[in-house]
Amino acid sequence: MPKRVRSKIARGSADLAILSLLAEKPLYGFEIARQIGERTGGTLKFTLASLYPLLYEMEKRGWVEAHWQVNAAGRDRRYYRLTPTGRRQLAPLREEWRSFFRALDDLAGVSHA
Amino acid sequence: MPDWKKLVRKRLFKLGLASSTTEEVIAELAFHLEETYQHAVTNGLTQRPAIKIALQEVGDWHVLATEVERARTEESCMNYRTKSLWLPALITLFGASISLAATQFIGLQPRLVWFAGMGMTFYWPWLASLPVFGAVGAYMSRRAAGQTPMRLAAGLSPAIVMLIVMLLILPWGLFLDGFHFFRLVRFGLGLINWVGIPAASLLLGSLPFLRGNNRTAEMNR
Repeated sequence: MPKRVRSKIARGSADLAILSLLAEKPLYGFEIARQIGERTGGTLKFTLASLYPLLYEMEKRGWVEAHWQVNAAGRDRRYYRLTPTGRRQLAPLREEWRSFFRALDDLAGVSHA
Repeated sequence: MPDWKKLVRKRLFKLGLASSTTEEVIAELAFHLEETYQHAVTNGLTQRPAIKIALQEVGDWHVLATEVERARTEESCMNYRTKSLWLPALITLFGASISLAATQFIGLQPRLVWFAGMGMTFYWPWLASLPVFGAVGAYMSRRAAGQTPMRLAAGLSPAIVMLIVMLLILPWGLFLDGFHFFRLVRFGLGLINWVGIPAASLLLGSLPFLRGNNRTAEMNR
């Protein structure tokens, strides 16, 4: 079972993780955190405290936009949607992380570890 | 089940977040806690451990409040200050200036009062109108969730501007004409005349709006 990564790497990868998820479809905060945890097998885990400041930061930068939507149970949820600006951030971010892993692999052979 | 919204509001408000932390944030964070709690209960936990798990999402309330505040306000800080200080101050200053100009335009003469052999001119109608402008400035600042010093500064802005102008004039006058005690006394009287008394008049109008917290109203909405 993979260990949870509680480090600056996890923090640094947050932008990529959130933007990638939102590129698929609009999601609300709890669902973003749940999907990230589930889809990374628990390696990446976002709590309320780590997730929302990031979302607000992204909203401020204009990468995502939020709107309230009522669900089937009549509850309001604040959905985040990727903006065109946010979408433009995604490709360079992916490339950045690809380069990072390539460099780390060259150095430490992490992909074969 | 705890009232999550009430809890978040209480904890974040206690930490003195600025007004930019809106009801929207409180609702969103409370909703996240509630979902975490419900998820834990659905997975078979009893109320107490489920609450504990939900609260672990927050960790340190102070850190959360700081992070949320930073994330939400860093760039909108200018907007907040503009709305709660600069704009009300400018409107108060503009209103007070127009009032003085109008007083002179319609021919209302200033009342000359002699003090220690020196004449002081008082525009009583203008001074009487200043509480209105002080009130407008402080009210506008309060409506934009300005803190008490901001409301005060907005309400007293004409007197503050006059004070700055006079403090700039004094050294210049002393430099040009040399130091005279008489000049300093005149300057002091000028300060009372154009800063002290107008400030008191403006303060009179501002006072009702210095109390009461707009943020509280917002939080209780």
